[in-house]
Amino acid sequence: MTEEMTLEDQGQAVVDFLDGLVKEYEASGKARVVEIDEDRIEVTIDGSDLGFLIGPGGDTLMALHEVTKTVLQRKAGSGPRARLRLDVAGYREFRRSELAKYVEEMAAKVRDEGIEIALEPMSAADRKVVHDTVNEIDDVGTISVGDDPRRRVVLVPSGE
Amino acid sequence: MSEEENVTTAEEVLVYLITQIVEDKEAIEIDIEESDTKVSMVARVAPDDMGRVIGKRGRVAHAIRTLVGAAAAKDGVEVEVDFDG
Repeated sequence: MTEEMTLEDQGQAVVDFLDGLVKEYEASGKARVVEIDEDRIEVTIDGSDLGFLIGPGGDTLMALHEVTKTVLQRKAGSGPRARLRLDVAGYREFRRSELAKYVEEMAAKVRDEGIEIALEPMSAADRKVVHDTVNEIDDVGTISVGDDPRRRVVLVPSGE
Repeated sequence: MSEEENVTTAEEVLVYLITQIVEDKEAIEIDIEESDTKVSMVARVAPDDMGRVIGKRGRVAHAIRTLVGAAAAKDGVEVEVDFDG
């Protein structure tokens, strides 16, 4: 158990754990590794009727992420610790693109009206989506204010 | 009859999750109490494994409750989960 695992092995361990769990739920779904880079494993579960694994506001998906991280830590022992990204039925991707769309609208307002707009508090992952989206837009910048879990991004006019 | 089957799904999910997290799998015991409106489950694990199933600031325990709740909700049952070392 304490032998070092490669990231590929860790990805497989996550897939095995999730497939086993889906079976216990008597649901039909299959986990697979989407991508592995040097410090990140991305795993998704696809199937039908998996909404119960996402839950209201993504609550169940967050719980699944927490437990999967714990199981991975147990199995990986002293091996390299990868960050885990988990999705179910494309939910996170969907949320990410919805958030990016919203941020683009707000950034256009900031640019056109020269005002600042404070977004609601968000997780670090969501804030990264905001920063990345605004990065692609001229004349608008971002600053982060407050502490987790109330940390939020403010869109500000930038450049003359 | 069908309610008992539903409980089994939630119980199976609970046992599976705990088995994946603890060191001492043989020490796992699940007590179940049913009332008219609710099912209460108490998961007993080895004292050394308590920290693992509870996690920092109770985050793992909370997540396990949510996942077991999802199993129960699928079948329209309400479940309460507690942990004991």
